[in-house]
Amino acid sequence: MSAAAPGRASAALALGLAAVALSVALSCALGPQPISIGAALSGLEPDRSILLGLRLPRALLGAVVGCALAASGTALQALLRNPLAEPFVLGVSGGAALGGTVVLLAAAAVARLSGAAGALLASAPPVVLGAVAGATGSTALVFALGRIGGRLVPEAALLVGIVFNAFAAGVITILKVLVPPEQAARLLYWLMGALGYETAGTLAAGAVLVGASVGALVLLSGQLNLLSLGDEEAASLGVHVGRARGAVFLAASTATGAAVALSGMVGFVGLIVPHLVRRLAGPDHRLLVPASALFGAAFLVLADAAARLAFLPLGSEPPVGALTAFAGGPFFLWLLRRTERRG
Amino acid sequence: MRPLSLALALALLAAAPARAEAPRAGAAAGGAEWLGPRPPASPRRVVSLAPSLTDTVVALGEGARLVGVTRYDDAPEVKGLPRVGGFLDPSPEAVLALRPDLVLWLTDGGAFPAVRRIAALGIPVLALPVVDVPDVLACARLVGAALGDAAAGERLARSLEAAIGRASRRAAALPRVRVLMVIGREPLVVAGPGSYPDALLSIAGGANVAEGDRPWPVYPVEKAVAANPDLVLDAAVNEPVEGIARLAAILAVRAGRVARLPNDDALRPGPRLVRALDDLFRALHPEAKGP
Repeated sequence: MSAAAPGRASAALALGLAAVALSVALSCALGPQPISIGAALSGLEPDRSILLGLRLPRALLGAVVGCALAASGTALQALLRNPLAEPFVLGVSGGAALGGTVVLLAAAAVARLSGAAGALLASAPPVVLGAVAGATGSTALVFALGRIGGRLVPEAALLVGIVFNAFAAGVITILKVLVPPEQAARLLYWLMGALGYETAGTLAAGAVLVGASVGALVLLSGQLNLLSLGDEEAASLGVHVGRARGAVFLAASTATGAAVALSGMVGFVGLIVPHLVRRLAGPDHRLLVPASALFGAAFLVLADAAARLAFLPLGSEPPVGALTAFAGGPFFLWLLRRTERRG
Repeated sequence: MRPLSLALALALLAAAPARAEAPRAGAAAGGAEWLGPRPPASPRRVVSLAPSLTDTVVALGEGARLVGVTRYDDAPEVKGLPRVGGFLDPSPEAVLALRPDLVLWLTDGGAFPAVRRIAALGIPVLALPVVDVPDVLACARLVGAALGDAAAGERLARSLEAAIGRASRRAAALPRVRVLMVIGREPLVVAGPGSYPDALLSIAGGANVAEGDRPWPVYPVEKAVAANPDLVLDAAVNEPVEGIARLAAILAVRAGRVARLPNDDALRPGPRLVRALDDLFRALHPEAKGP
């Protein structure tokens, strides 16, 4: 780090925190229903319920999910040494969705035998666990099959991820046939990536899980710097490559799994945010990981507010995942062309 | 695909990964429940989250108490009312802003997280699972009681019951018609056993040829051809009439034994069942004289 780095670091992090606060405030202030913040804070109904019961929890959910996705995206880009890596593109989200879906289906099957046991299995913790397991499995798959002749080839790993995504989508479509139509419609909407109204308990549990895994990524960020140089270089600099990579895998998969369990497949956040933050904060992962986490949180909260407001005249709102994909798809292609030119 | 029809594949709903419901009893079997606090004895500001429940409130003569309905509501009595979203994606914000003292919710939708949140914020919600004809009668009684006029609920339920009795008596004298009820054509979605229109069909003198244990199956066209129904009921009322020609592989379609329903009343489990039974009866027994 250069001498100016500590100043730059604190400036970037302060800016990130301010962005989160601002986006949450904006998301709380804007919605289909005009409310008065003053009235809400002085306890007047329905303003108070709309502000504190609906908008604030949803903004916090968006912040948790955005933080998880952007931090995992940053970590996966370092591991793969490719700016195109991202939980959604790499199939990690797809794996998480598949894992969560399988648990939900098992719950529906168990519910036929015992309603209570089924309800227990369909509650948040087992679904999150299934999503994390699915995310970890697909990450392992992508990085194992992305090796050619013992060397990790980023393009191959990306292809594996994209193919795995299609595979997971197909399997989920097949599984959907097995559930009642009401659940199938819900499953579909969930998979599209929507921020909804989770219970406080689910939100808190998700926040703890994301906090822990993103915290772990921040702690591992020094090793990420070395890993992004390549395995041999990292090893020669004293990094236990296998162990460090395993830890990053697990933390990134856990964060993605929790995010998918909370809000389905919101894509490209882990692509757009780290890329923009890199311009602000530079390539050092010790700064890049926490700054991406913060800006990711702000980004998704804003994207969700936009989703809520953009289609207001139609009396409907698209899932935020549709919006991030709308922005992220072209961004991915632009990034791909740029990388090619440089490469 | 039609807005209210079951597949609802493109319909939006709040995300709810962490929940799968056990099969739930219908309103007639005691499956209705209160979420959130109980309403006042005679609620004045009612939001309906399903067109069939709107119809019920209107049929009870209490349409003036409605302050919000879904975007699918088309009853003339609620034409000017604010819309609070759809059947599967009610906007909690819009509901709360109307300061309702009673929300009526048809549980057969994916809106649970949003409705749960509305109830948690102190709005009384009456959750009404409606899967079969008896549930519609139970609903009339429950909604009447919730509005503080149990007697009106009872009257409505009895008048619906009487209409059902009339239809089944008329149909009893006539031969049963083997029928395939088409809800959507591409893909072919039919009213399966256990669905609400299936129950109406059997009251009106039809025998549903759709098999299986799914109420709204995406049905293999081959099976529909093999079943060789006497009549194809075209309930895809929002799609052009001539589109039924896609199903020309079915003999009844080729032979012109197709009856198009004039509206989607048969898909709305509420007071419209009176008109729906009439329409179905006419479609199934065109030769029979009117009542």
